[in-house]
This record gives sequence, structure tokens and C-alpha cells, in this order.
Amino acid sequence: MQRFINKWTLLVLAVLIVGVWALNVSDWHQLWTISSAPDNIPIVAMLFLVPFFTWMGIRQAIANDRLIDELEADPKLAKTHHRKVEPWRPGWARELHVWPYLVRIEFLATVIVTVVLFVWSITLNAPLEEPANPNLTMNPSKAPWYFLGLQEMLVYFDPWIAGVVMPSIIMVGLMVFPYVDSNPLGNGYYTLKQRRFALWMFGAGFLMWIVLIVIGTFIRGPGWIWFWPGQTWDHNAVVFDKNVDLHDMIAATSVGKLLPAWALSANPGKFIFGMIVVTGFYIVGALFFHWLMTVDFKKIRLRPLRLFPKNEFEQKLLARTSLLQYLTFQFFAVSVLLALPVKLILRLALTIKYVWVTPWFNI
Amino acid sequence: MDSQADQLSAPSVGTPARTVPAAKPATPTAVVESSSDPPVNKMRRRMVWASVAGSLTVFFLMFVRFFLPRSILEPSSIFRIGSPNDYALGVDTKWQQQYRIWVTRTSDRLFVIYARCTHLGCTPDWKASENKFKCPCHGSGYDSEGINFEGPAPRPMDRAKVALDAEGQIVVDIGTLYEWPKGEKSEFDDDGAFIRV
Amino acid sequence: MSTDNTDMAESSDPKETKQLSSGDEAKRSMLDKVKETGGALKDRAKEEAKDYKDPQETQLWKSIFRVSHDRSDPRNRSLAILSNVFLHLHPAKINRDAVRYPFTWGMGGITFYLFIVLTFTGVLLMFYYHPTKVDAFRDILYLEHDVPFGKLLRNMHRWAAHLMVITTWLHMFRVVLTGSYKKPREFNWCVGVVLLVLTLLLSFTGYLLPDDQLGFWAVTVGTNMARATPMLGHEGPFGPQLGLTAYNDVRFGLLGGSIVDSNALLRSYIWHCIGIPLVASIFMAVHFWRIRKDGGISGPAPVVLESEIKAVAKKK
Repeated sequence: MQRFINKWTLLVLAVLIVGVWALNVSDWHQLWTISSAPDNIPIVAMLFLVPFFTWMGIRQAIANDRLIDELEADPKLAKTHHRKVEPWRPGWARELHVWPYLVRIEFLATVIVTVVLFVWSITLNAPLEEPANPNLTMNPSKAPWYFLGLQEMLVYFDPWIAGVVMPSIIMVGLMVFPYVDSNPLGNGYYTLKQRRFALWMFGAGFLMWIVLIVIGTFIRGPGWIWFWPGQTWDHNAVVFDKNVDLHDMIAATSVGKLLPAWALSANPGKFIFGMIVVTGFYIVGALFFHWLMTVDFKKIRLRPLRLFPKNEFEQKLLARTSLLQYLTFQFFAVSVLLALPVKLILRLALTIKYVWVTPWFNI
Repeated sequence: MDSQADQLSAPSVGTPARTVPAAKPATPTAVVESSSDPPVNKMRRRMVWASVAGSLTVFFLMFVRFFLPRSILEPSSIFRIGSPNDYALGVDTKWQQQYRIWVTRTSDRLFVIYARCTHLGCTPDWKASENKFKCPCHGSGYDSEGINFEGPAPRPMDRAKVALDAEGQIVVDIGTLYEWPKGEKSEFDDDGAFIRV
Repeated sequence: MSTDNTDMAESSDPKETKQLSSGDEAKRSMLDKVKETGGALKDRAKEEAKDYKDPQETQLWKSIFRVSHDRSDPRNRSLAILSNVFLHLHPAKINRDAVRYPFTWGMGGITFYLFIVLTFTGVLLMFYYHPTKVDAFRDILYLEHDVPFGKLLRNMHRWAAHLMVITTWLHMFRVVLTGSYKKPREFNWCVGVVLLVLTLLLSFTGYLLPDDQLGFWAVTVGTNMARATPMLGHEGPFGPQLGLTAYNDVRFGLLGGSIVDSNALLRSYIWHCIGIPLVASIFMAVHFWRIRKDGGISGPAPVVLESEIKAVAKKK
């Protein structure tokens, strides 16, 4: 299986998907209008900047990983090598004077940023809509791009959960990141193979933030209705909300009909059902992350079925992780990294509104 | 230049300069920060500093120009104050609050005094019982036609431009003022400085 | 001087006699004296002018600029940093590999530079902006049309704000990729997260200031989320039970009222121009200080092999 998943197959797949989408685009003008709106230029810029800098970082990570492999294979070399991919010869000073060597680079960066800002400010005008009118809301009414992630979350969660609880969990989760990371390797240099798990976790969160922003910018149209890129934004479109709460959905199935009425439709049955669902989600989620943390992807096989081969290196890292670190990580990982995409899919693909309904909050 | 100092680079910068010891450490090659610095390119340095100075000068000029807007929002300096028949002989103070003017009617003229003391700009008071304008700030005194006679005021109070419009209303323009500077010709008899009645 | 005249002195009043009888000669010697002094002064001036030939050697220059940047010896290079108030956050020397752009991407420094640009453009914008419902929108139009460079300034302020959010994220991304949040830099990472939140809040408060539809509804939606907060919002769980109404909950505190109106505008203005920048400056000071105290820029560090990390005592 691993033979087929390499960078070329992924590239071909990406080209196919983009091609199929492009052939179905009915309104190129709509796409251009969105992309060229001055307030959306930063997102378009990010679509280039993020891949560029990711490439820059990964390139150095690959070089470092190659060096690490070399050094691990040859212990004698490991004793004498200066341990960096950057060149160094004996006799070269290990340190340079900040003036001029660093300061001139900073000066150049300042000049470049200033020039970019001037050119940007001369060519594109900051938006200014009509004066504030409390009696008339524009359609669609969108937050600035860095808050679109939050605005998109409002579709799936109650206002205070999307606006207060989730941002707080995300903020605290970010702060906790260094403390739950028990891996002492990779401190100060790019590497992929020594920090696989941490990078995947952060990368997943980063990617999700970007996906939410892209959805909010290019896909959400009037009425916050889903329009694929290239579909004309119809201000008169009406979408019937067929979203159903989970307990009602189960109650309508053949299994649900077997249970007494109070079990799924009235309190406390509803409450207990929701609690079981959410607890179950956390447990399954934790198991999933544990699997991600310890599995050796290269050894997964379909025949014979081997889905949980353990990775030696990651196992050692797990041994260094305290119980508190582990549980904290699991809580934040499941609550943010798993809950968001799962809720997205539940709502958008399965039309499930809430999984836990209580008189005080809904999730 | 850098070689010897960098061989002694271990101590902090605060130590005073020391003489190089006779015996150098083991490495035979000179310790360099990078490839040896090319000779100082004074022209390039001057270009860089000149560009920096030039840009900063341009930014400074833009900065200064920014503080002088091309238009301002202030009330109009032109307004109407009724017809000449509305005014009796003497000084009328009814427009003082709204427009900062007094209307003075004499036997043959009607003119508008701009109520600004020519000393330092305060608004004088009309003292009807004493038939004079008296400035509360420093005591300048003006007669009933606005001519200064006591106090630090250097010249009479200015008069605003007046004209009669098509309906016979008096149109005042406090944007155009007629002065009588000390020792010079009076503008109070110029066209526009008064209305003949 | 008086010795010259003693020859000329005759009867009674020496002074007067001098002037009357020896007029010409006295005048000539006066002229000579003037010429002599003039000549002496000129020579002296020429000598002293030699001292000003090189402006960089004058007392005036040396009292302001203590370090010459023309000389490239190590002492001068170190002093250029250590004796300069604007630069002395830097160490005098850094690892030769840390200077390479691909390692740090420079995003932290660029973010700080953008903060300075925003402060400067923001202060200039404040000269033409009244934070009242009557004036705010009109002032933006005025800035764009009637103020020289006003349009440029407003655009720069807006785009620098967007760019700053991007560079903050890129900086965060780089720190994660290089593991520079690990011990001993964990606390600095947390300070950085706070700075990220403050950056977003600065953007949010600034958004309302033009008092246009865009800003008004963004703030309406944002603050409406506050009223649904449990125990703090009057529409949240347990809110009404605690006696919260639309006139005393957390949303009221944020807006200074129950609606997004002139009080909200003024509060937004003060948070945006004074409150949050002050707090952000304090956190930035801590952030930069900790960089030095935690050991300077984190890398590129020498790679460590798995076999070299200290073994942890086996747990059961």
C-alpha cells in the first residue's frame, strides 16, 4: 500500500480534483469578485505565503533528518561532526558580530516590508461601506478574515460555546502545548522524523483554522448558505433546514422505536443519552489519538490485517510522558482537533444538529 | 583586522584592550568571522546613508504636509442681518452673540464693527451709559464708532464688508475686514466698508 | 598700546594733545593695529577651521555619536550594539548560523516593525478622527479626500494590520517547526499566545472605528456572543437567576450601554488607541526580555540523536 502513496500520486490526485471542479464552475466572475475584494487579499496572499514558508521549513527539516540518519549510522562521525547542516570549518569563528551581520539583514527586511506596504496601500483601497445602520444588515455580513473561523463555528455550536468556550479552550490549549510536549529532541532545529507527532498535531490545528477561513471567505454566501466556489451567489436562495438532533434521529429509527418514549425524547433520558454520546466520543477520540501517537505507519498492512503496529521511538516518548501531560493533551486534542471536524461533518453531511441537549446548554 | 581579537573572543566586551600575547594558540590559520572583509567601500556606504536620508526627508515632508488639510468645516462667514430700517441711530448689539458683530448707524452711514479688540483679540463690552466699548482683558477703550482712544489697543476695531442685496437686505461678510492701521490711510471710507443711508 | 603714544605726548592733557596734534599718525597706527589684529584673527580662524575639516571628529558629533560606524574592528562592532539604546536588545554577537534567513524567517522582527508602523500611522490618523457618532464616518471620508496623504495613511494602517496578523501566525508556525517553545522557552511561548490574542483584539476594536456597516455588524455579532455567556450574560445559562439584565451584564460592560452606539464607539476607540497598546507593550517587553534571558535565538541548534537523550527511569 505504501508504494502507491507517494508525492506523485498525491499530485495527480490533486490535479484531478481541481480539474473536475474547474469543469463544473459556472460563474468564474463570482470567483474573481471574491478573490479580488481588497479585504480578501490577505487570504489570497496567505494561500501563497503559507505553502512557501512550509516548503522552506520542510526543506531544512529533510536536510537535518538526513544528517541525523548519517550520524546515527556512524557513531564515530557523531562524535566529531559539528552537528549542523550549515557549513563550518575549524578556524571559523562560531559567533558573528550582530553589527553588521544581523542588523543589515533586519534593515533590509524593514525596507522591503515598507516598500510592500507602500505599494499595497497605493494600489488597493481599504473598504468603507455605508454608514452604520442598525436597521439594515448586509447580506452576507462577514467578520474580517481572521475571525471567519469563529463565525463559521457559530454554525455548529451555540453562540457562547463558539464565541467564548471554544476560543478559550483553543487559547489555553495553545499555551499548554509546550508543557505536554515531553519530547526533548528538536529543540532549536527543523526536523520531521524526531517530532512527527507534535508537528502533525499543530499542523492539523493550523490547517483546520485555514480551512474554516477558506470556507468563510469563498464558500459562505448570502444567508450564510453553502455555495461551491464558482456558483453564483443567489440572494434569493432558500435552503430548508432539515437538521435534526441526534436523539430525535435515533428515536425515529427502528432501534429507537423499541425504547420507551422517555428514554430519548424527554428529560432525563435526553440528558443521559447526550452524556453517553459525548463521553463515548471522548473515549473513542482518546483511543484514536493514542493510536496516532504510537502507531508505525510504515508497518500497517491490510493483508494480514495489522492496524496497530507500535513505533519504537514513539513508545519511548510515551514512556517519558507523565499521566498529567497525557490526560491534558488528550482533553485538548479531542475537544478541539477532533470535535471541530466531527461536528462539521455531522452537521454538513449527516444533518445532525445537536448531540447533547440539556436545558442549560446544547452541544 | 578581526583575526587576533577573535582569538581572544572568550572574555566579555567590557574588558579593556589587551596586547596580543607572543605565543598564539595552536591553530595556524587565522580565525576569521567570514571570508576576510573587502576593503571598506566608502562610496557604497555613502549611497546607503544618502538613500536613507533622502527617504526620511521625503517622509518628513509628507508628514508636515499631512497636517494642512485642503478644506475645513467652519460656519460660513457671509450672512444677512435684516434691512437698514431695522436699525436706529447708535450701536445695536443684537447680533453680538450669534455673529460677533455690532451694527452702528450714524447720520449718514451704517457700518458693521467686528467685535474683536485689536490688542490681543478679546471681545469688548458696549457700555451704553458711558457711550464707549471697553475691553475687559486689558482695558482698551473705543468710542461709539469703534475708534480707540485709551488703553493698549494699537488701532480702531476692524469693520466688516457690507452690501445691500436685491431685496434690500444687508449682507455682511466677516471674511473681508477693513482696517485703519496706526499712521496709515483709513480703509473705513472704501467701497464696501459702509452703507449710505 | 599707551607706550606708542608717549613719544607724541606734549603739554597739559596728554590724551587731547594726542588727538589734536598727532592725528594722522595716531590714525595710522590705529589702522595698523586693526590690520594686525585682523590678520592674527584670520590666521587663528584658519588654524581652528582645520579642526572642523572632518565633521566626525568635532566635539558636537562625538558627543552625540559615541561610536564610529566606519571602523570595522571588533570593539566598534560590539559597541555599536551595546551603546545604542535602540539596538541594545540584541546581543553583541550571535551564532553564525542564526543569521541565515531561512531559519527564523524574520517574522518576529517584522511583526514588531509592523506594530511600530501601526502606532505611527495610527497616531497620525488620530489628528483627524473624532470618536463620535456624528463625526466618525465623515472623518474617514475627509481623510480620504481632503487630507494630503490621508488616503495613503488610512490604507497603510489597514493593510499593516492585516499583514501583522499574518506575520504573527507565520512566526508562531516557525517557532513550532523549530521546537523553540521547548524548555526553557515555554513561558515565552505563553506570552506569545497572549500577544496573538491582543493583536486580534486590536484588530477587532479598530474595526468599529470607521462606524460603517462592516464594523458595526462585526461588533454587534461579536458582543452578542457575550450576552449568551453563562453567569455573565443576561441570556446565558444562570444569568437571569443571578439578576443579570441587558443593563448590567458583561455585554453592557463592554459596550457601555445595551446597544452599539456612541458609548461603544468611544470605548472601542480608547481600547484600540491606549488600553490594548499599553498592555501589548508590556507583554512585548517581557517577550523580548525573555528571549535574551532564555539564551537568545534558539538556533539553529546542533542536532541531538535519540541515543543521547537522558533515559527516563522505567515506570512499572
